[in-house]
Amino acid sequence: MIFGFVVIAVNLALALIGPLIAPFPVQAPVGASLTPPNATHWFGTDVSGMDIFSRVLAAPRVDLTIALVSTAVAFACGVALGVLSGFFAEGTAIARFFSGAIMRAADIFQAFPLFVFALALVGFSGPSTRNVIMALAFLNIPFFLRLTRGAVLQVRSRTFVEAAICAGNSKLRAAFVHVMPNSIAPALVHFSTTIGFSILLTAGLSFVGAGVPPPTPELGLMIKVGAQNMMTGQWWTALMPGLVLAVTVLAFSVFGDNLRVFLDPTSRR
Amino acid sequence: MKRFIVFAGKRVLFAVPQLLAVSVMVFFLIRLLPGDPTYMLAGPYATVERIGEVRSSLGLDQPLLTQYAGYLKRTLTGDFGVSWRTSQPVLLDIQQRLPATLELVIGAVVVSVLIGVPLGVAVAVNRGGIADRLVFVYGMLAGSLPDFWIGLLLILVFFFALQWAPPPVGQLDFGVPSPDHITGAYIVDAALSGNWEVFWSAAGNIVLPLATLVIVYMPLVLKTARSSMEEMLDARFMLQAKASGLSRWTQLRYALRNALPPVVTVTGIVCWFLLGGAVLVETIFAWGGLGQYAVESVINSDYAPIQAVVLIMAVFTTLVFLIVDIVYYLLDPRISV
Repeated sequence: MIFGFVVIAVNLALALIGPLIAPFPVQAPVGASLTPPNATHWFGTDVSGMDIFSRVLAAPRVDLTIALVSTAVAFACGVALGVLSGFFAEGTAIARFFSGAIMRAADIFQAFPLFVFALALVGFSGPSTRNVIMALAFLNIPFFLRLTRGAVLQVRSRTFVEAAICAGNSKLRAAFVHVMPNSIAPALVHFSTTIGFSILLTAGLSFVGAGVPPPTPELGLMIKVGAQNMMTGQWWTALMPGLVLAVTVLAFSVFGDNLRVFLDPTSRR
Repeated sequence: MKRFIVFAGKRVLFAVPQLLAVSVMVFFLIRLLPGDPTYMLAGPYATVERIGEVRSSLGLDQPLLTQYAGYLKRTLTGDFGVSWRTSQPVLLDIQQRLPATLELVIGAVVVSVLIGVPLGVAVAVNRGGIADRLVFVYGMLAGSLPDFWIGLLLILVFFFALQWAPPPVGQLDFGVPSPDHITGAYIVDAALSGNWEVFWSAAGNIVLPLATLVIVYMPLVLKTARSSMEEMLDARFMLQAKASGLSRWTQLRYALRNALPPVVTVTGIVCWFLLGGAVLVETIFAWGGLGQYAVESVINSDYAPIQAVVLIMAVFTTLVFLIVDIVYYLLDPRISV
């Protein structure tokens, strides 16, 4: 828990001030090409002489922003659709039809392997930060949708919902004001895990050249640049950014896991 | 038996609308293109005539439904268009590359199950040991390891430092001819035709990419096998089995039999993840499979192949989940469509 918390806090701080505290400019050559780690360049320099440590410090601003924004969009859309689809799973024929249609659509999207789908979406709409965010948001909607719908299905038959409708609330108001707050927990818990996962996908997209354009300080892009040097033994070029990436993603997933256990004590071992 | 046929039949029928919907999605992908897709599809050096040709071949002046019907008809007859980068029909490109990807993905699934399930069961049986803790920590890593980075690390250690592995330049060592074409998967073909030189070359080259995928995606199988087995060992029927004086092995067999259905489901999910992971791993190891083809097509704005690869991978996933559901039914007939 502490590990996750600390890493996430450091990430958030770096996203805010990372580029400011970096000892070297992050997008310009500042030394000899491929210098091994030393006292001046803690993580060494890459093939074009850029300081890897400075770039790692600046990377959360790109990676975390993409992950946060896309996850927030996916969360908002997924929860809203989940509430609608769950609340109207029984009711008039039209309501049932739309509720079913939302679920079928989610099924279809999930037939596509995530990374391949992300690649295709970015490939068709063009590689840019905005398109990466939209693609990731789109991909993550079904997960939030399913989690929320599951919770809504359990909550909707409770007496307080009936009471709210009897008291004159419209069904939509009952769904969003009374049911939603009581069924949002699973999606909230999934939020942290999704951020980690989105960082991973962003890095993967950039790694194959379909993400943010170089020389943006982004972890996947740095690993891509370092990949060729890894084969000839300049290990620091890709090892350091990759390590930071792995630790960050792990922190978000550990934090998410702990949050789930914290909110649902019955799952404690 | 009759119930099984009804179940399988229903499930297969259910896959038909799914596949249709998948094709609709892929059809609409092209509409994400900014502006008029004709210019993008005809390629950067197209003549005016070529652009007119592409426009009419796409039927962009037709109503949407007619366009979709045309797309579906072409897809069903295997006409995925032409890749302007390889100047070959996309179908041919895919036929050449699909076996390499399947070899990698199926190999990784098989190895993950062969290691993950026994290890998960063993840990569940001996709870609280050091192995249990190690597996718990390793399980935490599931889904947070960057597969492309792990692949690079393996290259650094086993190719550069130790010189055990061949350079990451494809499925065969330099200068080794590809085996006679039987299935298209080099290892299988070499073994079938008894060409052992090629077989060992192919086997040596698949170790690192396969290891990358297994290291990254096996924890899912391992975690599920472990928790499902633990749940069964704690179940009431195990107490009954113990009380009845059944041998330890018989008890474990009972538990394992009941622990398997979730493992089958997660195996399907691992397949789904592996298709995505294979894209990255193929790129690192210059594997020459479908994933690398997709990446190269995306980078070069070659749209027909991307559409085809996405469609094929989605169809593959749908079929995997179909098989998973049917195997699940065989293991646990209580579920229904």
